[in-house]
Amino acid sequence: MRKTTTKVSGLSRKAAEKVPEEDQRNLYYHLMKVRMFDERCRKLFKQGRFPGTYFSQVGQEATTVAPAYCLNDKDMVAPSHRDMGAIITKGMPLVELLRQVFARSTSPDKGKSHPCHFGYPELRCLTPASTVAGQIVVGTGAAMAFKIQKQPNVVYCGFGEGGTSRGGFHEALNFAGIHDLPAIYVCQNNLWAESVPAHLQSKIEKYSDRAKAYGFEGVTIDGNDILQVYLTAKKAVDKARNGDGPTFIECLTYRWYGHSEIDPANYRTNEELEYWKKRDPVALYEKYLEKSGVMKESDRKEVTDRIEAEIQESIETAEADPHPEADAALEDVYSFSPAPNFPRS
Amino acid sequence: MKNVTFIEAITEAMAEEMRRDERVIVLGEDVAIYGGVFKATKGLLDEFGPERVIDTPISEEFIVGGAVGAAAVGLRPIPEVQFSDFATCSFDPIIQQAAKLRYRSGGGWTCPMVIRICCGAEIGGGLYHSQTNENWFFGQAGLVTVAPSTPYDAKGLLKSAVRGDDPVIYLEHKKLYRWIRDDIPEEDFTVPLGQAKVRREGEDLTIISYQLMMHRALEAAETLADEGINVEVIDLRTLFPWDKETVLESVRKTSKVLLVHESPKTGGVAGEIAATIMEEAFDDLDAPVWRLTGLDIPVVPFAPAMEEYFLPNAEKIAAKARELAAY
Repeated sequence: MRKTTTKVSGLSRKAAEKVPEEDQRNLYYHLMKVRMFDERCRKLFKQGRFPGTYFSQVGQEATTVAPAYCLNDKDMVAPSHRDMGAIITKGMPLVELLRQVFARSTSPDKGKSHPCHFGYPELRCLTPASTVAGQIVVGTGAAMAFKIQKQPNVVYCGFGEGGTSRGGFHEALNFAGIHDLPAIYVCQNNLWAESVPAHLQSKIEKYSDRAKAYGFEGVTIDGNDILQVYLTAKKAVDKARNGDGPTFIECLTYRWYGHSEIDPANYRTNEELEYWKKRDPVALYEKYLEKSGVMKESDRKEVTDRIEAEIQESIETAEADPHPEADAALEDVYSFSPAPNFPRS
Repeated sequence: MKNVTFIEAITEAMAEEMRRDERVIVLGEDVAIYGGVFKATKGLLDEFGPERVIDTPISEEFIVGGAVGAAAVGLRPIPEVQFSDFATCSFDPIIQQAAKLRYRSGGGWTCPMVIRICCGAEIGGGLYHSQTNENWFFGQAGLVTVAPSTPYDAKGLLKSAVRGDDPVIYLEHKKLYRWIRDDIPEEDFTVPLGQAKVRREGEDLTIISYQLMMHRALEAAETLADEGINVEVIDLRTLFPWDKETVLESVRKTSKVLLVHESPKTGGVAGEIAATIMEEAFDDLDAPVWRLTGLDIPVVPFAPAMEEYFLPNAEKIAAKARELAAY
């Protein structure tokens, strides 16, 4: 079992002092929104209210929420299947996520993509494919475009440690290094790529070492310490926006549940799971907020009550929306329709 | 009018579109400083600079996949895959990203780009510089696959592809690059995607082909004309989605069809078109639909005698068409 390099005793006070209190409160809101929404989606799946399966990111939320909190509307999120936290924090409304979860016709993807490949074009959240690391290649291309267009936008590419074994990962980061592209590469090292442990994924201990091969900075941090992730990501985003190139951020973290809800994850030990549950990013942050006085329990409850109401209302709205017509399957193939015949002049 | 080679038509199309629209960029291996291994991108770096004409590392997955991301946020990239034989290295972005981005996002994201891919035999390129491979893309909805055979079409189709809003696989037959010339207009023109062209009219049978083999079919048609057999030759131009109307109209007229292409028979373009003709125009047929294609072997072999054995040519086409006419 690989453990984090940092202590299990809570957040670094020194780091916390550098984060404005307003941001600390906002981060709590986003963190809880993702945690509560994620747990609710798991429940909805178990209740049989949507087909397929569901890919939870509970346990890893800080790694996606904090970097996305550093982005603006024109920045891009190129997500993996476990980056829902980045998309929610970027601003995709829960009701839109739920329309996709329930495969309703009103969903941004009109019921076509699986509920782990969330996309929201108006806030530049890429609707990803399933091929692992594909989004890194596409996201890096967007970063190339922003540089060519002289637009000060940054791209967040999210992936797990398993994704770093793909050829596309190498090709993209190599190119990003050559051209100092405005991207941040956020690696959620949760120790398991589905069922394959990190030591069978790579000989290297620190995945951030991979960045050396591409000529840019790589750092390894405690991915369950939301303030540390925030400070690291903020620096990387500012650097990228200033034209000083990409950063690879390895976040040590852990996925509490299976690869998806149909995976019992019995390839892991209970001991390992318990170790990491003690490092729950939510509990650690709450402990800190309480101790520092930034948010007392009553303040936090106000936030979670608000989130609970939003989730409830969003579920009711989305679930009441219509299913797509079956023949809507023929739409959105080309810029012209109907597929596959061209209009004739 | 001006007289240009096939490759000059391609270069002109890119340069003119880059002048017209600053969103158009070119990226690939050897495309900038070297001007392309066949010189298709010659002069572009000087005119448009290194930000729009980008020499990439040997990274076909990034060349195409990066272009998908660039297209998604507003550019109109023209990535080049140097040889279709290497397109395998860019399959994930071609098939999973470019072809499906619009679909999987319900039209929220689009992918306007042209993937230029050089292909084809008859130049002694050996195993990995001679394949055509259009069958890898044919039938993949979401992609438009274009395969021009003349300089006029090469220019006009490339311009349409750049101006369109879909990902286009643009296949350039390398034998055609400097082997064929055409008079083309000085002024701007486009050729619509998705429309076949009747290259030669005839009543006795129809040969459907594209790229180099379309020219071989025309040569065969000349030979047969001397024998009193009038062959209609259709140049598909866009392979997918293909122009069913033009094909079926010709079937109704001649009642006999021979399909010709360079790539292997099984799983090829010809089989699909033959099946459609059978489904939709069976009563108009006076003979079975025949195919004359490359052989079902893994790849085009190097030894000249074997390459010749692999490929259809004018003689083989004429022989098959003669047999069909007599059926």
